[in-house]
Amino acid sequence: MQEVLEFKGISKYFPGVKALDDVSFKAYGGEVLAFLGENGAGKSTLLKILNGDYQPTSGEYIINGEQKHFSSPHEAIEDGISVIYQERQILLELTVAENIYLGRMPAKRFGVIDTKKANADAKRIIEDFGLPIRPDTKVKDMSIAYQQMVEIMKAYSRENLKVICFDEPTASLSDAEIEALFKVIRKLRSEGKIIIYVSHRMNEIQEIADKVAIFKDGKYVDTVDARETPEAQMIKMMVGRDLGDIYKELDRNTSIGEPLLEVQGVSSDYVKENSFVLHRGEVLGFSGLVGAGRTELMRAIIGADKLKSGEIYLEGKRIENHSPHEAQKNGIVLVPEDRKLQGILANLSVAENINISMLDANSNKFGIMNSKKEAEVAKKGIADFNIKTPSPSKKIVELSGGNQQKCIVARWISTNPKVLIMDEPTKGIDVGAKAEFYQMICDFAKQGMGVILISSEMPEVMGLSDRIVVMRGKKIVGETSREEATEDKLLSMGMLGR
Amino acid sequence: MKEQARKLKIGGEKLTMIAAIIVVFIIFSALNHNFFTWTNIVNILVAGSLVGLVAIGHTYLIIAAQNDLSPGAVVAFTGVLAALLSSAGLPFGLVCLITVICGSIIGVFNAFMVNQIKLDPFIATLVTQSVIRGFAYIICDGKPVSITDPTYLLIGKLRIFGVPLSVWIMIILIVVFGLILAKTTFGRNIYAIGGNKDAARLAGLNPKKIILSSFILMGILCSIGGIIFSSRMNSGQPAANVNLEFDAITAVILGGVSFMGGVGGMGGTILGIILIQSFNTGLTMVNVPSFWQYVARGALLLFALTTDYIRKQKREKELLEASMKNA
Repeated sequence: MQEVLEFKGISKYFPGVKALDDVSFKAYGGEVLAFLGENGAGKSTLLKILNGDYQPTSGEYIINGEQKHFSSPHEAIEDGISVIYQERQILLELTVAENIYLGRMPAKRFGVIDTKKANADAKRIIEDFGLPIRPDTKVKDMSIAYQQMVEIMKAYSRENLKVICFDEPTASLSDAEIEALFKVIRKLRSEGKIIIYVSHRMNEIQEIADKVAIFKDGKYVDTVDARETPEAQMIKMMVGRDLGDIYKELDRNTSIGEPLLEVQGVSSDYVKENSFVLHRGEVLGFSGLVGAGRTELMRAIIGADKLKSGEIYLEGKRIENHSPHEAQKNGIVLVPEDRKLQGILANLSVAENINISMLDANSNKFGIMNSKKEAEVAKKGIADFNIKTPSPSKKIVELSGGNQQKCIVARWISTNPKVLIMDEPTKGIDVGAKAEFYQMICDFAKQGMGVILISSEMPEVMGLSDRIVVMRGKKIVGETSREEATEDKLLSMGMLGR
Repeated sequence: MKEQARKLKIGGEKLTMIAAIIVVFIIFSALNHNFFTWTNIVNILVAGSLVGLVAIGHTYLIIAAQNDLSPGAVVAFTGVLAALLSSAGLPFGLVCLITVICGSIIGVFNAFMVNQIKLDPFIATLVTQSVIRGFAYIICDGKPVSITDPTYLLIGKLRIFGVPLSVWIMIILIVVFGLILAKTTFGRNIYAIGGNKDAARLAGLNPKKIILSSFILMGILCSIGGIIFSSRMNSGQPAANVNLEFDAITAVILGGVSFMGGVGGMGGTILGIILIQSFNTGLTMVNVPSFWQYVARGALLLFALTTDYIRKQKREKELLEASMKNA
């Protein structure tokens, strides 16, 4: 009997975000179904609903005709549904066998753990997978790729495994390791499992997937054949229009000025010896894998992390930022990556959020705030950035993600910065708002600001930046102009350093 | 329209508090005919003035997502200290100055533990509570210190329009610090760091400085409380005011400040102070044994925390619904 997983009318709401909107489709056993969609399209949310991490606001999922409800990942795993995340979910101090049989180690009398049996059982699975590892090796002594294999074997070791999902599994794997992973996935497919594969990489999807389910802004668009559908068509379905056109239509700054920000040999606890120059009116892209140190370098520059060595010059003058507050006074500001944890002040209103970095300017010398000035700043921000809010006194969390992000940008622009650093500014934002952000970034450059853009989306960083700096392993490893940049070149620099 | 509805709802929470105060008054008046008299109301206010001072500090600290368990000990310590300094012959003005400085140093110490050693405020101020209570006993060898300076003694006796000075001081300070919280950058900073400390820091605020200021404020309020209380008792009492922070925290939470930080205001705290103090006074007046009063106070704090939890759930539900509409 072929396994069938059906989603029926699944919706999931978070404050400010409609993460999933009436999603219905089916996945079949013996097939690899890829989820394709932009960041924030709802792929990960759907996985989290399937494995009981989130509860759907409405809708249901049905496995082999039986309606399921998992109130925790534990229940889902018990029922044969496993998700392999990008971040490892294993215990590094334990051995391979202990990880595979975590929580259900074979026991002898009086509950004494039978390590011998566990190791023997684990060995059988390892051989099944054709891997050169030993069951009694501690997981921390193995490479990331093998750690991931341990997770897959952990899922596989359950007799009743029906659905196995991979969330960006290749993000930190080398080519050879990816090939080994695909071999395992093909094995699982041949055994009739339902396989869901979430990735951003088109070439991988075309290689491993049979079908592709496409998502856009929390909605399910369609399922297409992975090999016969042209890439361009899939991308168009995923973004709703040709993103290439958005970049072509941008009104860019053409006159890049003298050096504005010079960073020389900057090191912190998290980055080593980084130097680069940002010019007036320039958009400087930062590319690299997650964890390459891009965010950390910016945090060191604005004084959020302690600078260990190195010098920073703004307009030719040496500056020192011991805190984000000093950086702001010097004219360097950061729109942080994690909007929810580092950007918005959830308990405050839209107006208060926009004004929070302007408190000194909006108050008299006794610290008494001028509510008129505040209202003006808020009004200007809301108008300039087209923030959709019923009123300035609305709580910021009631807005959509894109509008929240605009508030954070408005917050910083109202302080008249010279250098604006944006860390993944369009993460979790719908395509329409993205285009608005792109033009906004070009406008800032036109006004003579230097803009640093950190983005993990290749088309975004290539489409917007005048120059692109690539980081790998805490260091800047290379630089390229927009004209010379290709996805392959950036990827190879980011992964291999050349 | 929407705005109005929201304001009315906040009014609704306060109305519930006022209703609770009225119920407390009706019940205790029915049980003891002396409860609803001018003398007793003044008594409630006098007793409440000390809780009130500390509750001002707790309003700031808890909105900033901090807390303080040391006020009872600090009030006792500063009371003894002031009495000692006074009996050593120092003029009252100088006594006040030194005492308030000592109070703020204790605040600095609390902030140091929270900011630099990264201790949880509960644990950090638990340390202070024990250490300062110890010093309260040490500096007077465990014996109450009598006050003889007539100026000092006047603080506890003076009445203006029939209301004791201590009550006036509390009212003035509540109004002043209520306005500071609502109208100044310092107040806004308190809300910002209480809501999200990391985001506030990246937005250019200085959470450590704000936390330091709040703990110093609490230290100053406690030392003012120590001077007033010792004056009223005619002596510095090292064993006094155990559990003072308990009543103050209960008042603040009852008044709508969230334990999670970032939410609330001074208006609610005023109602919280009145409620808890009439409750406490009432229990004594209807002869509830003091052991059972502890149980009753615990129950009241549990009630306050449960209300806080329900409010939080309600806020989140409203937000979800609002954003569903906007999405």
